[in-house]
Amino acid sequence: MKRNLVVRHKLFIFFLTFHSALFSYHVVAQNPIVRDQFTADPTARVFNGRIYLYPSHDIQVAEGARPNWFCMADYHVFSSDDLTSWQDHGVIVLQEDVPWGRPNGYSMWAPDCVEKGGKYYFYFPNGPKDGRGFAIGVATADLPDGPYKLEPEPIKGVAGIDPCVFIDDDGIAYLYWSGMGLRGAKLKENMKELEGESRVMEGLPEGFKEGPFAFKRNGHYYLTFPWVRKEGGTETLAYAMSDSPLGPWTFKGVIMTEHDNGCWTNHHSLVEYKGQWYLFYHHNDFSPRDDKRRSVCIDKIAFNADGTIQEVKPTLRGVGIIPATSRLEVDRYSVSSDGVTTALNDTINTFCGFHATLPQKGSWLTFGDVDFSSVTDGYVIIRVKADENTELAVREKNAKGKIIARFKVTVKSEVTRPGAPAPFRRDQSGQWLTLTLPLDYTPKGIADLVVTCEDKAVSIDWILFRNRQRYFTPVAKNAAPSQPDERGYIRRWRLLEPIKQDIRSNVIFTDSWLRKTFADELAKLSKQKGKWYTLESDHYNMKLFRFAEKYGSQLYGNLFWCETYIDCPEDIANVRLAVGSNGASMWWLNGEEVLLLEGDRRMVEDDGVSNRFTLKKGRNVLRGAVINGPGLSDMCVHFIDEKGKPVTNFQIQ
Amino acid sequence: MKRYIFFSFFLFHFSCFISRVAAQVGAPYIHDPSTIAECDGKYYTYGTGGGGLISEDGWSWHSGAERPGGGAAPDVLKIGDRYLFIYGATGGGLGGGHNGRILTMWNRSLDPKSPDFAFTTAVEVASSDGMEDCDAIDPCLLLDPTTGRLWTTYGTYFGAIRLIELDPKTGLRVAGNVEQDVAIDCEASDLIYRDGWYYLLGTHGTCCDGVNSTYNIVVGRSRKVTGPYLDNVGRDMLQGGGRMVINAGDRVCGPGHFGRTIIDDGVEVMSCHFEADFDRSGRSVLGIRPLLWRDGWPEAGERFKGGDFEIESMRRGYSLELAVDFVRIQQERERFWDMDMTKPLTSIPDQQLNDVIATWPQGEISVRCSDYMMRPHQHWTITPVPEAGGYLGGPYFKITITGTERALAATDKLELTAVPTFTGAPEQLWRIEQLTDGYFRLLPKAIPGRDGINTRYVLYSAADSTPTLVEWDFSTDNAKWRLRKY
Repeated sequence: MKRNLVVRHKLFIFFLTFHSALFSYHVVAQNPIVRDQFTADPTARVFNGRIYLYPSHDIQVAEGARPNWFCMADYHVFSSDDLTSWQDHGVIVLQEDVPWGRPNGYSMWAPDCVEKGGKYYFYFPNGPKDGRGFAIGVATADLPDGPYKLEPEPIKGVAGIDPCVFIDDDGIAYLYWSGMGLRGAKLKENMKELEGESRVMEGLPEGFKEGPFAFKRNGHYYLTFPWVRKEGGTETLAYAMSDSPLGPWTFKGVIMTEHDNGCWTNHHSLVEYKGQWYLFYHHNDFSPRDDKRRSVCIDKIAFNADGTIQEVKPTLRGVGIIPATSRLEVDRYSVSSDGVTTALNDTINTFCGFHATLPQKGSWLTFGDVDFSSVTDGYVIIRVKADENTELAVREKNAKGKIIARFKVTVKSEVTRPGAPAPFRRDQSGQWLTLTLPLDYTPKGIADLVVTCEDKAVSIDWILFRNRQRYFTPVAKNAAPSQPDERGYIRRWRLLEPIKQDIRSNVIFTDSWLRKTFADELAKLSKQKGKWYTLESDHYNMKLFRFAEKYGSQLYGNLFWCETYIDCPEDIANVRLAVGSNGASMWWLNGEEVLLLEGDRRMVEDDGVSNRFTLKKGRNVLRGAVINGPGLSDMCVHFIDEKGKPVTNFQIQ
Repeated sequence: MKRYIFFSFFLFHFSCFISRVAAQVGAPYIHDPSTIAECDGKYYTYGTGGGGLISEDGWSWHSGAERPGGGAAPDVLKIGDRYLFIYGATGGGLGGGHNGRILTMWNRSLDPKSPDFAFTTAVEVASSDGMEDCDAIDPCLLLDPTTGRLWTTYGTYFGAIRLIELDPKTGLRVAGNVEQDVAIDCEASDLIYRDGWYYLLGTHGTCCDGVNSTYNIVVGRSRKVTGPYLDNVGRDMLQGGGRMVINAGDRVCGPGHFGRTIIDDGVEVMSCHFEADFDRSGRSVLGIRPLLWRDGWPEAGERFKGGDFEIESMRRGYSLELAVDFVRIQQERERFWDMDMTKPLTSIPDQQLNDVIATWPQGEISVRCSDYMMRPHQHWTITPVPEAGGYLGGPYFKITITGTERALAATDKLELTAVPTFTGAPEQLWRIEQLTDGYFRLLPKAIPGRDGINTRYVLYSAADSTPTLVEWDFSTDNAKWRLRKY
């Protein structure tokens, strides 16, 4: 048994590994909620404030198993505390380990799990070794995710599938199952044997029924079940009510109508979590051509005042509030305009998920309940494809709502110059593109996201918000002086907003050009109208590119003026200024030029150093100009002594 | 600076045959060549934009290798019986933004004509979102020989070079692996392992500006694959550190995209591209150079072009010579105890070939090693023989006594002789490779009576005075030679 478990766990790990490039460990879910394997027949239970999901586990038909049929070899358990992130705890029971079961029966159908007296009882159907049909077994554990210890024999007197256990307020437990109709019986105190005979549940409508799920709410007993209401039809979810746990029942109607794509089965459970009731059910989203590989979905469910249940329309969006900084599968939208369609990204590896297509200008879809509280300095990434150049907007609230970001989707780029390299002129129509933009507007709190098509048809896979890395912090006017860091780097600078320079790509800056440019700019400096910013860098270097991104009008082709004030307690002799800059730079100490870095420069620590000088007691003014063409401009500056060691005994104002 | 428009190298016509010892012969036009991979006796390297080069012998290269997916700077590594490809699907800011994607895929063959040649679907293993300080292109592969773990670095000047771990069985990202910054100011990075050290090689400077490209390859090293990678003065590559491996020189400039190939114990080459070959219209070409290891640091050796040399055994320092009579140079003796200080100083001429050649036998002459005395029978001219093909990194050479056609040759008894005239026979052709310690090994292309191209037997000092041919062994100075210009 142990050996088998280990093997199975390895397979499971392999599976996770295989999908790790596509999904995170904790699957962030919209419907279906588990997106890396099939799950069906969900029973959801709340244990210790956490919601646990016990589904059956569809796999592709194994060798030797019945063709075109259900195939299930084990059970996984999943859990969540927000209904959106589901953790897969792995395999809890394997068919090969069931002492009484056929090791190759592949019949591990709908299970259930309940807690009594601090112990967890897991109920599951399986084909018995020495017989036809199904029996129902029990396994017990001290924790909801196991390890589970299997009972040597199935429950006597039960022939059927789809066990459900309900424990009444008086502590008496009842077992329901499907076998020659829906049946029920009392369970003994040990939870492993029937107390007396079972009986057929009375008062239920004609038609095929299976998968009973019983619960109690406000004094009413409910029996819910998949039900084929029409000859030759498929399953609905239906329910009946009663004043006692084993009926007789009064049929009340349908909770969910037949799946509109013909998926024959449905199977479900209802659970109250954090004050809200939810319906767990299944649908064959990841296997549209084969309805025996299914996936669990969740939607909210509501009761009327008289205890009757309101019908649930299945949604793609599902439930739960999703942080904006997790991948938002907007193809799982809450609501859309007419004509919006969804399709699998990959019809073979269906777990690659879905995308939605907005067919024309004005089409929209809404993805509700996105939590923006984690977005502080955000940008947004989308994955889209289109056949023609188009635009789409990400908005708040509705199709006319405030624009969060507006993307140009350019799939056929205009030739920028004759002979432009072919790989970058290529037609990207019909290819998935990942596009990134800063936010025009950041919603507050929990918001509904709306994607609108602003031009030609466009398909969208997902949206993801991220926060920019912090590079520096503005310094208040009356802030205390800054210290050089442990390697002597000066992190506090006054920076003038970037001055545009006409610099061709890939220039090797010449000394004479730099001298003239810097001299001209220096002469103009006192008249510059640009705004000065005082910033403290989070890093040893000052990321001028990011400064330009935040405060400038262009990213590339800039000249940056940098100033800082060095206050020394005494004269410090034989000091050198050591600079790395991207690209070229020139530096002045107290008005004297001390260093020029020319040529094709990148920011390398101690790339160039000045001749020796003395930092005088009191205030010294250090000024620099960094000029850059197409690169990621930055600079790092510190003073070093005769031996190359950083000088740190000063303050920076 | 950032990547600039390039791709003029993406040309499908062959240049005319170049007889001088060029970078590589054929049509070796490529940018960002992957580490050279071998498949069924042929060599392959793949470049930016798709496609790549094939060579039958390692010396003559032509287009014809196939890689779908386009994008930038691939790498290829043989793992088990399959080849893992990794490449950046995007252009590093060329397509517009810095949304980069790194993909991997497998193939059982590199030969497009092989029935086994089929790529698996490419799978993304890393990406950059266009805003973060990284542009996910230019990946490399290192299979750590000590742990069996598979590592990749990627990135450009747009932010940091990042390290990730892949699963060598699947080529996919290891679950839960978090990328880590290991360097800045690089692109086209590569990771290698040698003797307890991990080396991170990066390309600094500017590419794609022809003969004005400042590309150069630098290195830092670490005891751990995760870094920190420090240079020779202790500077972290995260602060821009790096020790030079190769820069401009020898009529080529702008080396980039390092790859290491181990040929034999102590025999390694590095591959790269040169942004511009001054003898090929400034085109971007494949470069293959000896890879030397000096005090634990990799350095490119010089391209060996031949010339006039004394061939000195590292066993004792004796010089390879014809086994002929030593001819004394006639000299008016000036003994140190009775020098005539009034006489003017004269210059004594070197002994000339014509002074001695008449004393040499006409037929084959055997060779030996002896004290180097600057005499004609010790002077060898090494000349490339372009029509004879080559090997990874060089053409075959003839080794003749300077001023004659008398050629060094291997015999069927695994000994050496000097035949009166070079005929082009394979036993008269020599593969000359610079070793990782800077010395050389010399292998005859063929040994009479033995099939195929010789890759085992090298010129070897059986005794101080006795050269012979013995199987290659890097651990002994008997197998190593110094080529000294005289």
